[in-house]
Amino acid sequence: MIQIGLRLALIIGAILMLAYVLNKIRKSQLLTNDAVFWFIFAGCLVVIAVFPQIAFWLSDLIGIQSPVNLVFLVIVAILIIKLLSMSVENAKLKQKTDRLVQHIALQDKRDESDNSTTSE
Amino acid sequence: MASRYIIIDMPNDKSKKQVLAIVPAYNEQDNIVSTIEDLRKNAPEVDYVIINDGSTDNTLEVCEEHGFNTISLPVNSGLACGFQTGMQYALMHDYDYAVQFDADGQHAAEFIQAMLDLAENENLDIVIGSRFKTQKKPKTNPRMIGSILITRMILWTTRIRISDPTSGMRLFNKRMIKLFAHESDFSPEPDTIAHVARNGAKIDEIQVEMRERTAGTSYLNISRSIAYMLRVCISILFVQWFRKKNQ
Repeated sequence: MIQIGLRLALIIGAILMLAYVLNKIRKSQLLTNDAVFWFIFAGCLVVIAVFPQIAFWLSDLIGIQSPVNLVFLVIVAILIIKLLSMSVENAKLKQKTDRLVQHIALQDKRDESDNSTTSE
Repeated sequence: MASRYIIIDMPNDKSKKQVLAIVPAYNEQDNIVSTIEDLRKNAPEVDYVIINDGSTDNTLEVCEEHGFNTISLPVNSGLACGFQTGMQYALMHDYDYAVQFDADGQHAAEFIQAMLDLAENENLDIVIGSRFKTQKKPKTNPRMIGSILITRMILWTTRIRISDPTSGMRLFNKRMIKLFAHESDFSPEPDTIAHVARNGAKIDEIQVEMRERTAGTSYLNISRSIAYMLRVCISILFVQWFRKKNQ
């Protein structure tokens, strides 16, 4: 049995998350592509809260005794995947900034030695 | 465009090996002048380039005031990025060897020639300036526990004994310059040394003396030391096995 408290918590959590995401989009602090993930995620929380039968049906299917555990498990799994993909994204960005930083630094150096050779 | 600069800076005497000292500097305004003076005085054959890694103190101003050969990164990007910039500069200017040289005054320029001789005579890829090649490691010093551990791990995984893996004084030949200039995530750290060793790089060490820092504070405090140890150990033991081979 998924208790009413948890269902309310899921809905409130989803609403707060949506408010946060919308606010960040308004301020251009979040990319639309990333916002899509959080919209769908919040949507799933609401669906589970409104129709807990889905959790019952799924936990029966997999053989998890308490539907609550299934809800937690799925949320944790989704967030871990999200975290890993952000880790990859972060590494890519670091590589790109490194390349840019190196390019700019070496370019500045060339310009500088260029100026000194022409002024001599 | 690029070829013009290579012609200007082409070493004119090809028989003499051209060596570049790469000096990464982050907030080293108090040490950088004595470090470069040491290089000029005790290794006059060696060119140098300071990599100012977005210092927040007056490192850049001090370098410009003295007319030092400096490359300045626009933002602070870490040792790996700065060192790689130096390697790209070495590659661009066709240097035969590059030596990693700390700006904090720990390294002594007088040993560079001996490192170079060893690299040339033995045809080595990397020569490490070691504090413990002939001298015993002070095993009672808690700071040495990490060093001993890393030595063991490199020995287990590569069959190569590196007595002073955390020494930041390393000489790289042209093959390594190319590799370090292009590969991403090639930080000048023990785990990268273990990685290239496993891929067939020839590495040896030579005994050097190192000084205590002359000014400023060391980057490594206790929590950072532990984090560093964990990172390097896990990298040597696990991560490096899965990296693509590139030699």
